[in-house]
Amino acid sequence: MATSNLQSDSEAVLLERVRNGETEAFYELVRPHERGIYLAALSILNNDADAEEVVQEAILKAFKAIARFRQEAKFSTWIIQITINEARMKLRKDRRHMYDSLDEPRRGEDEGDYVPRDFADWREIPSEALEMARLRQALKRALESLAPKYRQVLVLRDVEHLNIAETAKLLGITEASVKTRLLRARLMMRDALAPGFDGAWRKGQEYEKVRPF
Amino acid sequence: MTRPIEIDCEEVWRQISDYLDDELDAQLRSIMSAHFKNCAHCSAVLDGTRNVLKLVGDGKAFEIPASSSRRFYAKLDRYLASEKSTNGRH
Repeated sequence: MATSNLQSDSEAVLLERVRNGETEAFYELVRPHERGIYLAALSILNNDADAEEVVQEAILKAFKAIARFRQEAKFSTWIIQITINEARMKLRKDRRHMYDSLDEPRRGEDEGDYVPRDFADWREIPSEALEMARLRQALKRALESLAPKYRQVLVLRDVEHLNIAETAKLLGITEASVKTRLLRARLMMRDALAPGFDGAWRKGQEYEKVRPF
Repeated sequence: MTRPIEIDCEEVWRQISDYLDDELDAQLRSIMSAHFKNCAHCSAVLDGTRNVLKLVGDGKAFEIPASSSRRFYAKLDRYLASEKSTNGRH
């Protein structure tokens, strides 16, 4: 059965096949990383159609550049880097004004300390709860509500499980910035999702419960 | 005798993400652990944040729209098809 070792072995085999001109092997090489690259693009663009377009472009670019891929790097981070570059390029190209909506300050954007707004005690949420469409919708809405710089760090670190150094390198920021943004992103996600843990995720209702000490 | 809380809540919130990532030195970690035992607010923030990590980190949390994933390879397909016809290979 597949082990993590076999996983990277098969990746090396697939790479070799691609280099020998077997283009079909490239599809197999990319397939396990589809979700990762899509979410990386989405974290920057915050729009499904734009993310899809960037993924198409990134997959083509990766194919053309495969000869330059150094095998000591991880294929996953290599293709995520290509995707992030593409997404940023698209963002610059599509920007009609210097300050578009993505640059508007959002809740909790300032660089000071972030103070949690909700101190409700959450029950532990079983993973099976993710079967519920409304929980997934609540997660997506919460993620979309974050400013891009926080969303990008949270997606790479907590959704895609990259480490701090990898996240810093991919985004071109320092490890200290990764940690600062991650802290804020996590606390904002918690506040955004807190109402769910009192019972219902009320559809389309902006939640502004504040429970001071 | 209860252990005195040696750190204030604001400082706990500043460190809570590193605490969850196990990035703190042992001393600060144990001071924070003691604080969580005595502070309902901070332990609520800790549990909630931990829940967030568990939920977003689950592979089922964010889905790719099915229509999108079918189109991910569209540009590559077109590129390979045009290469093929240029080279006259089949």
